Amino acid sequence: MFKNYFKIAIAVLKRRKFFTFISLFGISFTLTILIVLTAFMEVLLSPAYPDVNRNRELFINSLELTNKDGSYMMKGRASFYFVNNFVSKMKTPEKLTMHSSRSTTNAYPNDRKLSVDLMYSDLAFWDVYQFKFLEGKPFNAQQLKNAEQVVVISEDMVHKYFGEGVPAVGKEVEVNNLKYRVIGVVKTVPSTLIYIHSDIYLPYTLAANTLKGTSLTGGYVVTLLAHSSADLPAIQEEYQQLLKKVPHPEKYHDLLSSYADTYLESFTRDVLGRSGSSGRDRFFLLMATVIFIFLLLPTVNLMNINVSRIMERSSEIGVRKAFGASSRTLVGQFLVENMILTVLGGCIGLILSLLIISILNSSGIIANLSLKINFTVLCYSLLACLVFGLISGVYPAWRMSKLNVVTALKANN
Amino acid sequence: MLKHLFKLIWNKKKENFLLISEILISFMVIFAVFTLLVYNYQNYKQPAGFDAEDVWAVDLGVMNISKHKDSASVVHENLRNVMKDLPQVKSISFSNGNVPFADNYISMGLTYKKKEIYPDVYSVEDGYKDVLRLTLVSGRWFSPEDNGREKSTIILNEEAKQQLFGSGNAIGKTITQYDDKMKVIGVVQNIKGQSDFKVATAGAYQRIDTGRIRGMSQMLVRLMPGMDAAFEGKMYKLIASTIKSTNLEIKHLVDMKAEKNKETTIPMIIFFIVAGFLIINVALGIFGVLWYNINKRRAEIGLRRAIGATATSVSMQLLGEALVIATFSLIIGSFFAVQFPLLKVFDLPASVYLQAQFLAILFIYLLVVICALYPGKQAASIYPAVALHEE
Repeated sequence: MFKNYFKIAIAVLKRRKFFTFISLFGISFTLTILIVLTAFMEVLLSPAYPDVNRNRELFINSLELTNKDGSYMMKGRASFYFVNNFVSKMKTPEKLTMHSSRSTTNAYPNDRKLSVDLMYSDLAFWDVYQFKFLEGKPFNAQQLKNAEQVVVISEDMVHKYFGEGVPAVGKEVEVNNLKYRVIGVVKTVPSTLIYIHSDIYLPYTLAANTLKGTSLTGGYVVTLLAHSSADLPAIQEEYQQLLKKVPHPEKYHDLLSSYADTYLESFTRDVLGRSGSSGRDRFFLLMATVIFIFLLLPTVNLMNINVSRIMERSSEIGVRKAFGASSRTLVGQFLVENMILTVLGGCIGLILSLLIISILNSSGIIANLSLKINFTVLCYSLLACLVFGLISGVYPAWRMSKLNVVTALKANN
Repeated sequence: MLKHLFKLIWNKKKENFLLISEILISFMVIFAVFTLLVYNYQNYKQPAGFDAEDVWAVDLGVMNISKHKDSASVVHENLRNVMKDLPQVKSISFSNGNVPFADNYISMGLTYKKKEIYPDVYSVEDGYKDVLRLTLVSGRWFSPEDNGREKSTIILNEEAKQQLFGSGNAIGKTITQYDDKMKVIGVVQNIKGQSDFKVATAGAYQRIDTGRIRGMSQMLVRLMPGMDAAFEGKMYKLIASTIKSTNLEIKHLVDMKAEKNKETTIPMIIFFIVAGFLIINVALGIFGVLWYNINKRRAEIGLRRAIGATATSVSMQLLGEALVIATFSLIIGSFFAVQFPLLKVFDLPASVYLQAQFLAILFIYLLVVICALYPGKQAASIYPAVALHEE
């Protein structure tokens, strides 16, 4: 039976080529946008080089100090003092690491101008994040302790500073008017890893002025690595307990709040979070609304075309009804036909999105972007495809099934 | 005639329901597109108020200076002298972090006769006006005659002056910040210091006094035209060896502006591409549906032709019907669109919405006319004899 439906569907598609083109255009374009969007979300949120353990990581992104009535607020990254004296004493995480926020400076090799990102990190940074070393190795405990002028740089930085394919270990880079010895070269981190992408990684002991003082806010981001993702709530709980013991005696600093968040939450809390909630649910709601509105127009359009197509076949429907086909059979047939159309459109959409993704990846609008269509993305787009086909098919099919046999046959004229 | 068309559509409202809702949604999308376009274009049209060409912003980074106040001002003074000795440097001014196109904002409350505003506050030196080539509207800029009374003079931009004094004169008036009294000595033209697409906000300029110079983290430098990276590298080393800081950074205001403009243009381009495809999609859909509907009515059209209707009047009727359908959608759509300025949904002036609404209506009518033209023409070419014979 399905084979028959399939044959009929193909015949119908061939008969009205213009309508087929419009439908396919709408479906494939809509799905292309959805797939590219999903690929973007995927590359932003899922574990990727070198942050392969993201599913069992928590991030301490900021601290907030407020007074009682909320008229004073100070917000910033964690300070070295806070990390070293409090956070590093936590027992539940397997490992924890801190690195500074990125800062930018210039370098001028051979009278060319380079804009260079710097990041200071500790030793555990190289354990928690699985960097791939193309040359050399990270700095060791001795080098960190002695504040040696050594750096790990990215492959991109080697290209920009020394030239393509030149071995860099042992050479010197000059930034901040200081000379640093290169001890390692890592595969470049894409800029979609918002916390840790950088050109140069230095031992934190070189940022001497951040190590002094007892202010709680400073310039460091902390990553807590759990033994397993099941431990995450326990770590969050321990962190909240720890915050209660941190002294903050300064004037106006009445309340201290901070959260150990999963990767997504550490961003949504800033933008959408309200009074302690992470804003993740609001984020998903927002995304769903945007996608719904975006899908509305192509769906209505497809429905509209489908109605026309079905009414055109009223004589066929009339005959089938007259010979005893039930409304349900007819609706089923039409839905199957519409599904075939949407799946066809989906395939074209997939090819289009592959094209767009390769263009985006090579265009360099976002440095080192590596969008991919993986299994998850494929599943989501297939699901979107089916939902799309179902919604746009149901209403026309329902209208068709209500056709009166006599009118339908007469329309044959 | 028009009444008749409305009646025809109204009688078939059930059949046309989907088409009407489709045009309605398209109208809302187009309305959003034009609102963005009109708003950004209006802002883009405003004069920049300053000249970013050949101006470099030097972020002084983290300076290792002792807590003693004098040593700080010594470092800044040394730097100033070193820079002045360079023949390529035309003028310089130290500044707070909020130089043009940086993502830093500093504001404070200013009060005049119980009216309080919160303008962006820029800490500047006498050279600032020459560095950015600001235009003075009235009064005067800071000069050495303000020495020793830095706290008591202030310069406003036109927007801040408008908010505080309306159309009245501001020069010589005294405004207060908490307990400090300040005399307005000048009004300068607004500057678009965030990007070409962001409207100028209220701003006030204060002269940097010697006690506060240690807090100044930026230096703006105007250079001779055509300075290259070699010179920039030399200047970088000179500054770095003078002030001994880490994370020193030199940026060109022109590059910073281009970067900030991208924050508006890239999302806009993506949005336009998506909206453009949606509209093509819809246009094809409308075209297909009209074409089908007209084909279905061959008999009716044939009859009209047989009793003497001209080809033009037939295609005009079909075009008219399409326009009436569009009008139905636009009436409903306009009802929603009017809510935006009425309820002040986003903080945009009402004129933007009204212009966008007008353009969107025009666009939809144009779209419908284009979509209906070919099917209408096709219908007009129906031979009455053939059409009636089919019946």
